[in-house]
Amino acid sequence: MVFLSLPLLVRARGPDEFWRKRRIFKLAAHYRSRTRNVYSFAIRSVHRALAYATKGRKLKKLDMAQLWSTRVEAGCQQYGVGLETFKEGLARSDILLNKKTLSDLAIWEPRSFEALVRISRERAAVEGLPDIKRRSAFNQVYGLSNLKLD
Amino acid sequence: MSFLAQTVRQVLRQVPNRSSALAGAMRSLSISPAFKQQNKPAAESVDISAIAKDHQKEGLEICERINRQVAKSEQGRLFAVVHLCGKQFKVTPGDIVLVEGYWPPTTGDEISLDKVLLAGARDFTLVGRPILEPGLVVVKATVVEKTLSHTKTHFRKKRRKQYMRINFQRSPHTMIRINSIELARPVDGKSEAQESPKRLF
Repeated sequence: MVFLSLPLLVRARGPDEFWRKRRIFKLAAHYRSRTRNVYSFAIRSVHRALAYATKGRKLKKLDMAQLWSTRVEAGCQQYGVGLETFKEGLARSDILLNKKTLSDLAIWEPRSFEALVRISRERAAVEGLPDIKRRSAFNQVYGLSNLKLD
Repeated sequence: MSFLAQTVRQVLRQVPNRSSALAGAMRSLSISPAFKQQNKPAAESVDISAIAKDHQKEGLEICERINRQVAKSEQGRLFAVVHLCGKQFKVTPGDIVLVEGYWPPTTGDEISLDKVLLAGARDFTLVGRPILEPGLVVVKATVVEKTLSHTKTHFRKKRRKQYMRINFQRSPHTMIRINSIELARPVDGKSEAQESPKRLF
């Protein structure tokens, strides 16, 4: 008498061994050494690789954000403005470009980027952000430099 | 404390013209956050209107030059930074933009991208605060393709804990082609936004 009940199914190991292993070997096909041919090694490295790939998708986004920051910082340091001041100046001028776009502009549209830096620097100087050493032309026009207000 | 004050006074005597520089240094020592420290407003005696007029004149002149260049169509290829589906893209005619995630437009739809943050050509740049006036720069695009991304394997495993999860996911991808970017009307520095009845927002 054959029991096709639940306790037996629990012991069943799923699909045929060959197919189960082939799935892993396909993923390990480009590995070197015994990780390619020996199942016990292959499954270890495949699992590790899949876990890395899952984590890597998040890390990629973080890395890109860091890269854009670096690029924008390099771009605005050409004109003697720090990254934080640049971003603050832009935000206070209601210019809401993100880091990705700014780094694109810094690379491919240097003159547009220079204009943005100038806008930001002027705003920063007018509002008296501490990073800006040069006095604002705006304030000079208004005679603030003679008044020794700051 | 008195010693400090004395030193400051001494320094001030030595460099009478640089008192502002010293004040700047003091400002950096202050406890209150840097962004709160602002210059005080302008004195009343300065004639603001004259300066404003000068600025206006300069601005109008620049607009005029841009308009002249556009009228002769010497501006070359325009580029624009558009806000699309929560992301910003720098686009130029002929580009293909990949929109990730759920996005309703279907294949073959002709759309115009209205949130233009920045537009530029060889000799000028228009910067929006935060977006340019509606109808100033018209970015037309066509939805080319709607597909799914490649299969991403989401795999988690804890060693020696009998914990392993594997999931597969594909997110919708939409490709749109930028057909044209045009300056629809002359740049004049004044806002004459005409509310078209079709706009919802």
